[in-house]
Amino acid sequence: MKIKSGFVLRDVCGEQVIMGEGLGALDFGRLLCLNETAAFLWKFAMEQGEFSVDSLSEKLCGEYDVSKEQALADVAQIVDEWKKVNVVE
Amino acid sequence: MTQNMYEVAGIRFAVNLADGLDVLSSRLLDNYAPFVVNDSLGISKIVFEVSVDRQKEKEEFVEDTRQEEEGQTIVCGRNGAGECVFEFLLGEKFTGTLICSRDFKKARVLLNEPSPKFALNNALMIMYALASAQSDAVLFHSAVVTYKNRGYMFLGKSGTGKSTHARLWLAHVDGTELLNDDNPVVRMMPDGAWVYGSPWSGKTPCYKNKGARLGAIVDLKQAPYNKIRPITGIEAYVALLPSISGMRWNKKIADGLHQTENGIAKNVSMFHLDCLPDEAAAKICCETVSAKFESADKCAESANSNKCAEA
Repeated sequence: MKIKSGFVLRDVCGEQVIMGEGLGALDFGRLLCLNETAAFLWKFAMEQGEFSVDSLSEKLCGEYDVSKEQALADVAQIVDEWKKVNVVE
Repeated sequence: MTQNMYEVAGIRFAVNLADGLDVLSSRLLDNYAPFVVNDSLGISKIVFEVSVDRQKEKEEFVEDTRQEEEGQTIVCGRNGAGECVFEFLLGEKFTGTLICSRDFKKARVLLNEPSPKFALNNALMIMYALASAQSDAVLFHSAVVTYKNRGYMFLGKSGTGKSTHARLWLAHVDGTELLNDDNPVVRMMPDGAWVYGSPWSGKTPCYKNKGARLGAIVDLKQAPYNKIRPITGIEAYVALLPSISGMRWNKKIADGLHQTENGIAKNVSMFHLDCLPDEAAAKICCETVSAKFESADKCAESANSNKCAEA
């Protein structure tokens, strides 16, 4: 999957926030606040283009001291939220 | 051709009227008169330049998106050369077209009877917003009053009663003056935020070439009671977003706007006001938003008080 075009990660008053700014995302109509882990994964997913729960989990294990199982569970939960608010396709 | 040079909130632009339009210039540009600048050296400081002519044929372009509000429609798109094109409709009537160069420094405005002034004002507002977005200035949708040398801005969706609330201050708070009723400019300066009048003021002819230190921004919402509270951080940022127009699908412009919006949300006092359209709303609002300046101003008057030094 990949992040839909038009969504950007911005620092809003010290918080990491996803906003819809592109033509296809103008009617997003909300801001999505990310915690540190989710923001880290978002940046990597943007870099990667086409990404998967596996590819993000691997990256997470490389960066933080977490078990593979824990990483997979955390990433799956974060990606589910992205799907729910419709920012990935 | 005649060239007119204007400066709004310190941002300079030129409007070149084609020969046939000279006769209309006083009618087309009367609201810009307070903003005229005449110094001959000023040409180098021009941020954008607009050439205005009558529309002879329709500009071909592909539509990207459109904004509709209160019977006014702005259609946005791009032509074959990759330039941004905007069309302005008043109800069903087509009133004109704006075609901007890709760097937003030059533009052509083509006007159509019967409402050329509507199209020209919209075109210049858009150019102003786009050309200034990458600097420290933003064009707001807001009513703004001055009180004791500071500006107080009222935000809210169309129909919320921004102008009404401003009128309530004028009627019930001594020393209040209307600075602009619809489209003021805010600039983040090294010494803090300033708010300025502009040639665009909605239905109220209030075209003041003046600025004031920005005291506070108040986000209004209609309610069956009056209640005011401070807002900060993301909540403050979110309150600003719908009041600042810009072509956010252009990344450079979105980046510039975001930076200024973040600066305002972090550095300007902001409040949320649930309100009735009554005198008490204006009073509670004024008391709350100007409170911190009241004590500071008293300090300035009695310079030797230790207590005040802390406040």
